[in-house]
Amino acid sequence: MKRDDVIRMAGAEVCAGNAQVISIPAGELRRTAEGLRHDRDVPMDYLRDIVGMDWGEEGLGAVYFMESSATGGRVALKVAVTDRERPLLPTMSDLWKTALVKEREVFDFFGIRFTGHPDMRRLFLREDWKGWPLRKDYDMDSNPLRLDNETNADTTTEYRLLPDGTLAGTAHPVFGENDFVINIGPQHPSTHGALRMRVALDGETVTKVDPILGYIHRGIEKMNESLTYPQTLGMTDRLDYLSAHQSRHALCMCIERAAGIEVPERAVYIRAVMDELQRIDSHLIFYSCLVLDMGAMTPFFYGFREREMILDIFEETTGGRLIQHYNVIGGVQADIRPDFCRKVREFTAHMRRVIRDYHDIFTGNVIADTRLKGVGLLSLEDAVSLGCTGATGRASGWANDVRKRHPYSVYDRVDFKQVTRGEGDSFARYLVRMDEILESCHIIDQLIDNIPGGDFRAKTKPVIKLPEGIHTAEVETSRGEFAVIIESRGDKVPYRMHFRSTGLPLVHAMDTVCRGWKIADLIAIGASLDFVIPDIDR
Amino acid sequence: MNGFCKYMEGYFAGVKSLLTGMRTSMKVFCEKKITEQYPENRHTTLHIPERHRAMLVMPHDEEGNNRCVACGLCQMACPNGTIRLTTETREVEDGKKRKFLVKYEYNLGSCMFCQLCVNACPHDAIRFTNDFENAVFQKEKLVLTLNKK
Amino acid sequence: MFLDYYNFEPLLAGIHAALCGVMPEWAALTLEGLAVGVAIMLMYAVLAVVLIYMERKVCAAFQCRIGPNRVGGKGGLLQVPADVLKILTKEIISLNRADRFLYNLAPFLVILASILTFSCLPWNKGAEILHMNIGIFFVLAASSIGVLGILLAGWSSNSKYTLIGAVRSGAMIISYEVSIGISVLTMVVLCGAMDIQTIVAGQADGWNIFKGHIPAVAAFVVYLIAGNAEANRGPFDLAEAEQELTAGYHTEYSGMHFGFFYLAEYLNLFITAGIAATLFLGGWMPLHVAGLDGFNAVMDYIPGFVWFLGKTFVIVFLLMWIRWTYPRLRIDQVLTLEWKYLMPTSLVILLLMTVCKVCGLTF
Repeated sequence: MKRDDVIRMAGAEVCAGNAQVISIPAGELRRTAEGLRHDRDVPMDYLRDIVGMDWGEEGLGAVYFMESSATGGRVALKVAVTDRERPLLPTMSDLWKTALVKEREVFDFFGIRFTGHPDMRRLFLREDWKGWPLRKDYDMDSNPLRLDNETNADTTTEYRLLPDGTLAGTAHPVFGENDFVINIGPQHPSTHGALRMRVALDGETVTKVDPILGYIHRGIEKMNESLTYPQTLGMTDRLDYLSAHQSRHALCMCIERAAGIEVPERAVYIRAVMDELQRIDSHLIFYSCLVLDMGAMTPFFYGFREREMILDIFEETTGGRLIQHYNVIGGVQADIRPDFCRKVREFTAHMRRVIRDYHDIFTGNVIADTRLKGVGLLSLEDAVSLGCTGATGRASGWANDVRKRHPYSVYDRVDFKQVTRGEGDSFARYLVRMDEILESCHIIDQLIDNIPGGDFRAKTKPVIKLPEGIHTAEVETSRGEFAVIIESRGDKVPYRMHFRSTGLPLVHAMDTVCRGWKIADLIAIGASLDFVIPDIDR
Repeated sequence: MNGFCKYMEGYFAGVKSLLTGMRTSMKVFCEKKITEQYPENRHTTLHIPERHRAMLVMPHDEEGNNRCVACGLCQMACPNGTIRLTTETREVEDGKKRKFLVKYEYNLGSCMFCQLCVNACPHDAIRFTNDFENAVFQKEKLVLTLNKK
Repeated sequence: MFLDYYNFEPLLAGIHAALCGVMPEWAALTLEGLAVGVAIMLMYAVLAVVLIYMERKVCAAFQCRIGPNRVGGKGGLLQVPADVLKILTKEIISLNRADRFLYNLAPFLVILASILTFSCLPWNKGAEILHMNIGIFFVLAASSIGVLGILLAGWSSNSKYTLIGAVRSGAMIISYEVSIGISVLTMVVLCGAMDIQTIVAGQADGWNIFKGHIPAVAAFVVYLIAGNAEANRGPFDLAEAEQELTAGYHTEYSGMHFGFFYLAEYLNLFITAGIAATLFLGGWMPLHVAGLDGFNAVMDYIPGFVWFLGKTFVIVFLLMWIRWTYPRLRIDQVLTLEWKYLMPTSLVILLLMTVCKVCGLTF
């Protein structure tokens, strides 16, 4: 089945907005999804995201964004169910593994149960949370601050719809009676934030990983529903703080595309340079954290030493170091400083020199080699099915760089290689990122001397309203595909704003990747997958 | 024999990689250190860029007047209620009614330095400074009154 | 002969005779024992402070930092004493479901092993505290009490992290004792003695590392690697592995109980280095170069304990350099390294040394 076949289906309708979402009847969802997934020529094997929605009158539902990893062709399906008491949708978890975690997110926030999903637990909120917070009729006072401990259930439920219309549940154990379960997190040196993993061990060998999320969930998506478009920009910097600039780029781009705002060429270049600097910054932190997690304290400081230079460059121009608030709708906040170009050139030259030290002290080291090579294998098939974008997917041989597949900004005009490797082990993930540092330097060198003159910011209306429909934009952040999905009803605030988390699929992949490896490998694999918690928890 | 050769090869390659690592760390051992000695360097090497946003201020001229017209745009632009204006409507000489600023309250504790207020201000009455040493012991002290009169 | 410039023996004998003059011999011995005990403790504490300070400064330099520089002037000299004071005043927390007796016993076992081994170090001519004819054998035996303390600490805390840490540590230390034992044995073959003072005295005409040439150098390297593992220091610190197990076997300890583990770790580093200096680098023997009599005479004027400390600290620096360069090994790599590489190597070295000795190929 192809996109055109879906459009020709009875009851199918293309919605407004640049996402070109096709609305289909809920009863057709499962058949359509199977058809798209198993299409003979271009199977839609990558499920980008499932976005839960509350359309009010129209009912609750979800929008499924799919893509073909081979061609980059995309399909988006929208289904709604009117039953608010017992909303049910069929699971997609047997077609795409990433649906295992995405459907839990939708269940958590909208109360839509996915029949056939083997693990229908809440994902972010406490298991005893009352109500479904992202529904429009949610009572904001229904969950006062609680100070008692949360207990995590050791069983989970799979729901099935019986022929007579009743719902039956089957219990599955998360951990067995005899499992030796240890908690890694939420306060742990190597989880890089407030992430908690329940890990079952057999001696030193990991047998299961169950990530428990939501320790720093801030409800940014819900908050955005009451903020005007310029105000929502402040939140994206606080998602993946190592991709602050790129995430904000995505949101600005989504709003600009929907509102038809033309961005001046100067701003486009500046944004691209900043994006690449941010990528180097993030990969330097990746290097530092990986070596630190493996017990080498000294190279950790090397990474931070060079990162400091990037932050200084950022701070001079944007006024911020970690959180920059630099992109605005229609351009950038302020023009670059006069010495910006010189400093960036000096930095890329320095980076190229000093990266040899990084490799000398760590990459060739026999201890690091044996701890990373062949460890934590993620097959290409799994990487696509789990939706592991970014360098993690590229290390498994999946050429998934948004900058190449769906070029935005200046990326179709600059020359750069998409770094991919086939091994899919921790070492490949590490090397891909190290090589991307050099690629980013290469991109910056092409742009920095050619920043055109002119305005750095287009004039925009004082109140920005987006036309009705579902709008999306996506960028390649430091750790994968970050997408913004806005449903607008024509107001100055979004009706629903969703961010595709780059880290959620990565954390979800931990279970697949870590099984059978040692506990020390679990830490190294976690570092090599490179997730950032605020982006997962949103 | 082949296995033994491989074993010895691995042995020596491993030792060589370890020595390369030690050479690199010794190189850094002898290099100049990069620690910034804050707060001792406050008046010497510490450089805070001009654009760094650390606190919202309202510049006043020599007579102590500011340029705020109490329009409230900054308050409306703020995503998290950091700015609170108290205004009063007075009659000016020609009989028209105009709003005047009584108090401009700014809560440094909840500000996220997004610069929307500064962008919104039609008269450039507020701006950010790079004066970053703002730690206080009580939360209440973070609520600042920006206007002088 | 230079040895007699700084020989402590006449001095100590004099003190003993003087004491015996005013009191019965048993009382004099008790008093001396007490004094020596206090001296050991003091030296132990002072050395720990020095080592911790050194570690902080050295690791800072490797990491392009300055290290402690606020407390006590520009060099941060008082930082470590301040930390010691802090740790002394901290509460020792008792755990709810721990095995109380073993939990409290464990840190003392660790420190006991460390002090016993410490007492065997030859500081100077005539200044060895525990002197027996099987000295080096005793060192090996006493140092293995430490692993018992680590195992008990991990087990009795009743925590999963500590248990994993303790089991790792047990597996590792017991394995590496094989290599240490064999490389020490290699040197015993060379010297023909187990008495530490005799081993040192035998190096008056050249350090063992020169006398034993190839096998001795190889044994030195093997000893350093295995000794590093024995001292639980990076890259063999997987018993603590803060990135994996938060603090490993001592996760649940606080206050001075934790302090004991911490002290023992640093002193074990010193002891490892000290034994290496004794066995391979001539202990308190000065450096002599054949033919340069003037140079040798100057070297003789430097006291033995300065030589000993100097050599030890050079090795300590080497070990720190290693620690602050490499990533940590995984448990299976640690065991592979020992059983597939170090142990066979040390056996070959032992064989080689025996052959050299028998054929008279040593100097």
